[in-house]
Order: sequence, then structure tokens, then C-alpha cells
Amino acid sequence: MDSDEEDFVFYGTPIEREEEITSRRKKSIAEASGHLRALPPWKQEVTDEEGRRRFHGAFTGGFSAGYYNTAGSKEGWTPQSFTSSRKNRAEVKQQNILNFLDEDEKTDLEGKSFGTSSQFDTFGFTAAELALKQAEKEQQQRPSAIPGPVPDELVLPATESIGVKLLLKMGWRRGRSIRDSQTDSLYESRREARKALLAFSSDDAKTQLTDSEGGESHIESSVEQPANDDVQSSRSTPVYVLNPKQDLHGLGYDPFKHAPEFRERKRSRLSDNRKPGYSKALSMKDSLFGFKSGKVGPGFGIGALEEYDAEDEDVYGTAYDFEDTIVQEVEVEEPSGVTKDRRPRLFGKEQGVLPGFIVASKSDYQLERFDPPAVPKNFVPHHKFSGPLETDKKFADPPPPEVPPPDDNTMKLLIDGVATLVARCGKLFEDLSREKNQNNPLFTFLTGGNGHDYYARKLWEERQKRNDQTMLAMDGKSSLADQKMTAESRGKLLGEKPLERSSKDFSSSVASENAIHMQYNLSDTFTKSASYSELPEIIKPFKDDPAKQDRFERFLKEKYQGGLRSTDSGKASNMSEAARAHERMDFEAVAEAIGKGKHGKESLLSTQQFTGVSPAGGMQFTSGGLELAKDAQAENLTTMNMYPRRKEFQWRPSPILCKRFDLTDPFMGKPPPAPRVRSKMDSLIFMSDSVKPTKLEESDAVNKGPYPTPQSDAQEVGKIEGTEVEAKVEVENVERPVDLYKAIFSDDSDDEAETFDHKKVEEPEKKIEVAHTALNHLLAGDFLESLGKELGLEVPPELPYLTSKAKTPALQKEITNAVAKAPISGTPLDRAVLQQRGTTQEGESLKKMFIPGNPQSSGGKFRETYLSENRPGKADRGKTKEDARSKSPSSHNRNRSSSRSSEDKRSRKRPRRHRYRSSDSYSDLSSDDRDRYHSKSKGRKKGSSREKSSNSRRKHHKHKHRDSPSRSSYNDAEGKKEKKKRRERD
Amino acid sequence: MIQSDLPWKEATVLRGHEGAVLASRFNGDGNYCLSCGKDRTIRLWNPHRGIHIKTYKSHGREVRDVHVTADNSKLISCGGDRQIYYWDVSTGSVIRRFRGHNSEVNAVKFNEYASVVVSAGYDRSLRVWDCRSHSTEPIQIIDSFLDSVMSVCLTKNEIIGGSVDGTIRTFDIRIGRELSDDLGQPVNCISLSNDGNCILASCLDSTLRLLDRTTGELLQDYKGHICKSYKTDCCLTNTDAHVTGGSEDGSIYFWDLVDASVVSKFQAHSAVVTSVSYHPKENSMITSSVDGTIRVWKA
Repeated sequence: MDSDEEDFVFYGTPIEREEEITSRRKKSIAEASGHLRALPPWKQEVTDEEGRRRFHGAFTGGFSAGYYNTAGSKEGWTPQSFTSSRKNRAEVKQQNILNFLDEDEKTDLEGKSFGTSSQFDTFGFTAAELALKQAEKEQQQRPSAIPGPVPDELVLPATESIGVKLLLKMGWRRGRSIRDSQTDSLYESRREARKALLAFSSDDAKTQLTDSEGGESHIESSVEQPANDDVQSSRSTPVYVLNPKQDLHGLGYDPFKHAPEFRERKRSRLSDNRKPGYSKALSMKDSLFGFKSGKVGPGFGIGALEEYDAEDEDVYGTAYDFEDTIVQEVEVEEPSGVTKDRRPRLFGKEQGVLPGFIVASKSDYQLERFDPPAVPKNFVPHHKFSGPLETDKKFADPPPPEVPPPDDNTMKLLIDGVATLVARCGKLFEDLSREKNQNNPLFTFLTGGNGHDYYARKLWEERQKRNDQTMLAMDGKSSLADQKMTAESRGKLLGEKPLERSSKDFSSSVASENAIHMQYNLSDTFTKSASYSELPEIIKPFKDDPAKQDRFERFLKEKYQGGLRSTDSGKASNMSEAARAHERMDFEAVAEAIGKGKHGKESLLSTQQFTGVSPAGGMQFTSGGLELAKDAQAENLTTMNMYPRRKEFQWRPSPILCKRFDLTDPFMGKPPPAPRVRSKMDSLIFMSDSVKPTKLEESDAVNKGPYPTPQSDAQEVGKIEGTEVEAKVEVENVERPVDLYKAIFSDDSDDEAETFDHKKVEEPEKKIEVAHTALNHLLAGDFLESLGKELGLEVPPELPYLTSKAKTPALQKEITNAVAKAPISGTPLDRAVLQQRGTTQEGESLKKMFIPGNPQSSGGKFRETYLSENRPGKADRGKTKEDARSKSPSSHNRNRSSSRSSEDKRSRKRPRRHRYRSSDSYSDLSSDDRDRYHSKSKGRKKGSSREKSSNSRRKHHKHKHRDSPSRSSYNDAEGKKEKKKRRERD
Repeated sequence: MIQSDLPWKEATVLRGHEGAVLASRFNGDGNYCLSCGKDRTIRLWNPHRGIHIKTYKSHGREVRDVHVTADNSKLISCGGDRQIYYWDVSTGSVIRRFRGHNSEVNAVKFNEYASVVVSAGYDRSLRVWDCRSHSTEPIQIIDSFLDSVMSVCLTKNEIIGGSVDGTIRTFDIRIGRELSDDLGQPVNCISLSNDGNCILASCLDSTLRLLDRTTGELLQDYKGHICKSYKTDCCLTNTDAHVTGGSEDGSIYFWDLVDASVVSKFQAHSAVVTSVSYHPKENSMITSSVDGTIRVWKA
């Protein structure tokens, strides 16, 4: 083994044997568990689990880093005392290099820092500061001469050397170069004095502050002083203040270029924010007291309903305070460029002027006034006609002033002569003579020369004279000619029989009272108001029948003066229902004609109308002549009657109101009042049909009054083609959309569902009922007629249904549409058949009236109607009924009158239709008017057809309940069929 | 031109309002009076001693009308802030605030039992508010007027409103009926006669009109004063023998009720007289004006 050791050279360290390692570990374990524990810490050797000493690095502790190879300290792992960040969260610790330096380092630093020693400190900046610091330090260390904190604050340590003091006494101030200040010493001293004075005034604020802030503020104030001086030293040595760029604007961009006031404000705000010192304190103080001084800006953003809160005031209050501080500063400082800039601020306090703005002394905006154009000297302010006779000019000519005749007698004579001639022969003569005698000096008066004034006067006089003569000669003929044609004169010319006039035409008074009429016109019918605003003017077309005339007048008054018809109006007890209705129609026609005549100022037209109308309609008033006899009494009466006007409406107080007034609810358990006719459209329609029938049934007295009559039978005859309109206009009878809605969508099930809130259900129900009665009539009218036609003319009811069904294109989206498309689809027809079947028992009278004597004609008419409006292409069908239609006028009319007597409901509805129809066909209605009607009615048509359908459905229901089982089953089957069809369509 | 039994002597001047006084009202027994004005306050006075008792502040805009209950415990006021304030007289606190008018509220009145308040607004409506419940919703809105409702009067069973549309509308709660009397002139102010049979309406054509309430008949009209653009009040004297009203030139007129002759006229204020209120028992009245004063007149 030895020889081996000699032979071999070993490089590197041999790998330790296993046992060695294990032995060391054993040792370390033994040590750890054994005696080593007992050793003091500094004698212990720290090893890792392998038992090796750990080496941490030469600079990080060598073999004993931390506290003897631990990361802890002598105290171990004791944590820092916990300080809540909650309390001192706001504290932002300003880090300073001194925070990180040891004591000795600090002293080192102090020793090394450069500074002027007090010895050489000429300007007393740093040295004074230091000295102050030093003195203070000393003061803190040594016990004060007088115990207590007060004297320390009062007695300041002396910092200034005697030289400085002397210099100061001599007028030198810190931050100034020492030089011969003789030149401006006087100025300086004065300035000093002023400063002192001002300082006194603002001193109290400063002292307050110093008192409150204690010792430290001494330094601050003293530090500040030199800073202030610095600003002022700019007098001797210019100090370039470099403004750091603090905003986010682009380089060189000046947002306040054109508004330097705002820059000032901005700067002041910034400086206020930055300077922690006295100016801010001042402003704070000011803002504290600002409100108490009553400086409360009203500010905007306070709405009508908002109350003035303290917060709101705060928002706007501070803005004012800035101004205050600024103003103070300005006053303290010497007037300089800066103050000049700031001056606008002071003005900004003026009333009504935005801060920073000045009221312009001279406003740019001035109304440019132009002098009226110079009137040429020889301008005569009237137009001269060259005609020979100027008879009517006399009225317009203002008389020229009286002029004394010229001295020259011949001149006077000449002028007189010429004037007479001119007056007699006209202007032409004057022109002629002027031309002729242009160069004659005697005739200069003609061209405005000598004596012209006298000539003018003379001429005027002559003309007057002459006119008087002509007036006499013509005996009012000319006046008649140039007057406007009145109804009277026209009547006279036409040889019409003059009528009595019941009321004076007081359109003039109307004009003066426009204000009154405005209101009332607005509430009136809007299409008519224009022409009827002057309708208190009542014309007497029924002169020969005073009673009738009376009724007519009443009718007119009601019609145009507004509102509802009183129930007893036009009640003539001795008149039959039919006669009354007839009369009503007459009235309507006459009123219409009168209105027209008024409107167009063409009595001729109205006469034509009247004459054209009367033979057919059997009008009872004398044709044409509308003589308006003036009657002052009547006028007075009407004006007196006009105001106050009383109207009565239903009004429903709320139950709780009644309760609060200690009254019983008049409407308790009753249906609501009829909805007020308020809109203009409604007033056009007068009253909804749906309300009326019920009313009618209640009282017989009502039956005449409230219904507008159609124009006349005659017109009806003339306009029989207007059935198209008729059909459409029927729709207008619908009361209101809401009710319509209800009428459609509320089924019989509604009746059963009365359980909930009785009060509420009542209203719609009543309405529904009412609507349904109205609708039933409508429906019956249309369908039974068409049915009648169909029955009388064509195939039995079943067949058309089938055939037409086969024909039916998928037009019908809904059952409602089916109604509109009646002739094509046949569905409604079919339904109508059902109806007819169903109603045979109950609706005898209805049927009678709707299928009057000649079912063909009426049916044909309706047929035509539908065809023409729905399917123009299907004219062939309508064509077959051409003969029937041609027959229809007379027969129809007859039928109507007969039916009217039997059924007044019918007549009631009819008139309205006719009214519309006729109005529609009137030529004076503008086309767009007509369009409106058209579209409107079309728009409503859907609704109407809907309601029809719903109604018919309703009918089915009723029959179902009432009729024999077989029929009901049939109905059911029919209904199913329909449903199916609908589904298909959908 | 002065009748001795009518107030003509200026007894007291009540000063305190800053700006125009828009309404002044005696209380039920005539011992106190209330005034309200542009300065957003309502003031309670003793007009006979000339003492200002209390000021009620809460309104955000001018106060246009004020009314007090018969038992003097509650006030109601309305104004340009579209709100109606229900006050406790003694504490001066607002008990309730009714909102709902869409614009300025011109007039407000309690009913007889002070259970209900009716307000008349520029929004063409009368609104009825319930003082008993805590609801601040109107219990009834009457909107049949066509223009601003200027004035409202209440009887035991009726609500009467006068409107710029020229109508006086009477809403009878007992019958459920609305009577509209069209005067043809904007109605500024309406005032009931003490017997309740007539209504006096101040119209903007410088005419006061007296209407019979049952028939709607025009009984008389009173002219002479100026009333063209301001709301100037009118009322009947406590005996219903005379009609009184303010004029825009600052004078007060008295007319004989029957023959409509001006029996007394005197200059009361330097500016438009906004309101007149006659003492319920004595021959005394208060007038208020745009000049900021309330004057007490005695016979």
C-alpha cells in the first residue's frame, strides 16, 4: 500500500469516504443533541445538517451571518410594533436624505456643506438663516430665562449682525446691491413708509397666523420675507423667472392667448394651491366668513323644485373668495404690470357683468338708421291719371293749403281760367297747356313757378265744385257703381224678393271682439269656424212661416254657436216625427247654403244651389233672395245672449272627493258620464252614435234635438252616387277608439265575468252595450241590404258563399277584413245570411226598414258601393245593377222617408251619412280635405269592419243561446268553418 | 267720492315683504291676515295692530296664493314652484307638500272642513288634494278648462273655477254636473257673494261681472277701473251691498252692487293692486300691492 502511495501522484482532492461523512454527521448530531447545547451562543458553531460550517461570504458575515448564523437579531424575530394605516393614512411621508443618515453622517454632511459663514454673509441669506437656527437650537437647549413657553415666542434670538442692522437703518435692504442709492432714496423712503402702512393693515392676519402656528412659523415667515424681497430686487438686478411648464398643452400653446383674465385667475389659483403659507390661510379664512357676509351666489343648476341647500351655496361660494384674496394682494402690492392685468377683476364685481369682462362703453351693435329718402320738391303724393275726368280722385286729394292770390291781377285771372279749364277737361289739358306754354313766362305756374301754389289751390277748388255737380248729375249712380255689391243690391238687380233680416250684420263688432271669438271658435267646429265666426248673422229663409223660421234660427244658433244641442230645441209638439226630421234636413241644407254664400260672397252661387236644390227636395223657402234687413234690436239681443253663455256637462267627481265633502256620490253605482266631446274632430261628428240611442230610449223629448239633419233630400238625390262615401262615413259613428276596442274584444264572457270590482266593470259594460246597439243598427243596415239584394237577385244564400269562397283569394287576413271585402269574399254575406236568419224573429222591424220596398235598388246601391271602393276591377258585377241604381234615387228616397217614419233611429243615422257625403262631394272642399276624409274613413274602416264582425260574432252567440239546437249547431259549424278559414289564411 | 261707511282711511301699513305682495287674505274671523309675495314668504299679521307675527318660508318661488282653515290651524299656499304647501300655523312647519301641477299654481283654497284643498294651475287644471290621508296625489283632476285657471272658489258642494279661457266653471259634486258660464273675456279672479248666490268675476277687459249662479245670467257689470294685464282681485263687501276691486293704477274702487255706479274710489297704492280682502264683519279691508305693502283700510 505504501509503495502504491509512492508511485502515484495525486491530483485534486480525493473523494471523501463514506464513513468519514457519516462520522461527521454523527458527530454533528451528537453535538446538536449533546453537550454543545450548553455552550454560550457566541461559542457555538453553526453548521448545516451535514455538520459543515456554513460560509456566508466575506462581506455578509463570514461564518456568522445575522445573529450567529440566523436571520434574526438579538431579540429574535420580534415584529415591529403595528401601526394602523387607517389612522395615519393621509400622511404622506416626505423622504429626505436625512432620514437615511446616521447621526455622525449628518454631522459630517453639515460640516461638508458649503455655505457662507455669517462672517462673510453680505446678503444675510443663509447665514442669517443658519444663525437663526443655531440660536433656536441653543435656546432649546439652555433653560429659558423666564420660565414658560411664552417668552420664547416673544423674544426672538438676534440674528442680524450690527453691520446689517446699520445698513438696514441706512436704507439698505436684503437682496440689494450696496450702491449709492441717493438718486431714489426719497422715493424709496416714501415707498417704505407706504409699505409699512399697508403692512399694518394686513398685519393682523399675519400675527394671527404666527401665533397659532408657533415657533416653526417664525422661520417660515422670515424665510418668506427674503423671497418677497427677491421679487422686489428685480429693480436693481433683473431676475429671470423661468416658468416651469406645468400644463399639458403643447409647447408654445397659450390657451389664454385671447383671454388674459383667465390666465390670471388660473395663476392665482395655482399659486394659492401651492403656497401653503398665509395667502391660502387667508383665503380659507375668508371662505369661512364669506357666507356670513351674505355673499351667496345664486348659481345655476338649482331647479324649480330644488331647495337651496348649504352645499349648493358652497359650490358657488368659493369662487368668489379667490377674488377677494387677489384683490387684497393687489392692494398690498405696488401697482405694477401685474396689477394692471388684474384690474379687470375689480370691475368684474360690477353688477350684471361677467367677472373678467368689462361693459363696453360703446356697443358695436347699433341699429343702422337710414334717413327717409328725400322727397323731390315737386312730388305730389298721389297718382295722377291722365284720364279726362277724375271724378273720384276728389276724395283722395288732400286740399292744398289756402294761398293768397298773386298780386298780379292778370296772373290771377289767368290762373283761375286755366284751373277751371283743367278741372273741366281733366289733367290732359294741363299737360297740353304746359307743353305749349313752356317758354311763356306767364304760365310758369304750371311748372311750379310763380303762383303755382295758388294754381294748385284753385284747381282743387274747381274740381270740388265740379265734382259736386257731377255728383248731382249722376245722382249716386257712380257711387252705386263703385260700391261693392252687397247681397241687397245683387238681390235687387236680380229682382229677387227681399227677405227680412233678423239680425244686423255686425261683423265689424265681431272684428273688434276678435279676442272673444278666438276662444270660442277654437272650441267650435274647426272647418266651419272661418265662415261662421260671423254667423250670428241669421238669415231668414223661412219668412213665410214664422214658427219655422224661429225653429230654424234656433237650429242655426245651436249649430254654430256651439256645443250640445239642448234637448228641447226645435220641439214642435204638433209635428210628426217624419216632418220634424224632414224639416231638420231642410234646415241643414239652408244653413249650408247660407254658409256657402257668406263664405264665397257669391249669393249667385247660393241661389243656384237653392234653386237647383229646391225642386227636387221640395224646399220651402223662397229661392235665392237673401235680403238682410238690418235690425238693431236683434243685434243687441244676440250680443246680450252671447255672453254669458251657459253650458252644462256631466262631471263625475271622484268618490273620495264626495266623501271629503261629506256628500253622497251622485254616481254611486252608476255608469260614468258620457265622455265629453272635446276634440275638434269629435265636435265635427257631433255626438257619437253609441251614446245617443240610449239617451233616446230614455226620453222621447230628446229625439229631435241633438241630431244634425242632412242637407236635404234633394241633395241626397243628387248625390246618390256618393254612397261610397256613405259607406265609409258610417264608420264615423263609432264613438271612441277605447270603446271600440272594448266593443270588439269584450265578449259575452265579459258579462259573466262581472265578479270583479263591480264599479269598474260597469262602465265599460255600459259602453259596450251602447256601442253594440249602435253597431247592430249599422250592421243590419249594411248587410241586410246587401243580403236583400242578394236574395232578391241572385242565387240563394248558401251558394254564393261556396262559390265565392272558392273564388276567394287569400286576401283576408282577418275576419274583419272580410267585411270590407264583402262582395268578393262572400263571407260577410254568408254571415249576413246567418244574421238574417237569426234576426228574423227579433229584427223584424229592422229588416223592414233596411230592406224597404225595393230591395233591389238599395241592395244594388250598396253592392255598387262595395265594388267601387274595394274592387274596381269587379265592375262587371256592379254593372249588372246599373239599371237598379239608376232607378234608385227616387225609390230610395221614397223608401227612406217611409222608413224614417217607422224608424227614427234609422233616420238619425242616415242624416249624418248624408251630411258627410254631401260635404264630401262639395266642390268647395279642397281636394286634400277630401283626401283627409277619405283616408280617415279608410283608417277607421278597419275598425268599423272589425266591430261589425265582432258584432256579428256576438249575434251568433246570442242566437246560440236563444235558438233551437239545430240552428245553434249550424252556427257552430259555421263558426268552425270560419275559424278554419282564418287559420288557413293566417 | 267717498262714502263714510266704506273703508277709506288708511289705518296701518304692513311692511316687510321684499318685492310685490301677490295676495293678502283675512282669516275666517278677520282678526289676522295673511300675505304672500314674490319674496317666497308667507307672512302672518295682525292687521289691526300692525304687527307682523310670523313668516313662513319654504317656497322656492313666488307665493301666489294662501288660504287658512276656518279654525286657523293650517295654511295652504301655492306658487310659482308648482307646489302646494300645507303648513301648520303655529309651528310654521310644512306638514305636506303636494306636487303634481305641471306649471305654476295660481290659486288654492280649503274646503269647508279643511279636508280637501283645491288648487288652480296654469296647466289648465283644477286639482283636488286630500289633506286627511297621507297621499300626495291629487284625488281629482279637473281638466276641462281650456286655459290657465286663475282662481278657485269652494262652496259646500261645489268647486268653482275661473279661467283665462273666459269661463267660470262650476263643478257640482252633489249632482255631478259641470256648468260652464262663458263670459267671453279672460277671467282673472272670481269671488263668491256672501250669500253664495252670485259670483263676481274680474275680467281682463277692465270689467267686473256679477253672475247669478243658478241661472248663469249676467246681473251687472262694473267698470271704471283698469284691469288689463295683471291679476287683480275683487270681492264683495261683507254686507254684499258693494263690490270692491283694485285697479292697476293703484286705486281701489267701490261700486254699488245694484246700480253699478262707482260710489267710492281712492288711491291706495303707488302700483298695481294685486289683492283686496274685505273684513268678514267690520267695515275694514286690506289691500296689497306690487309696491310691497299691505294696507289696512277702515271706515
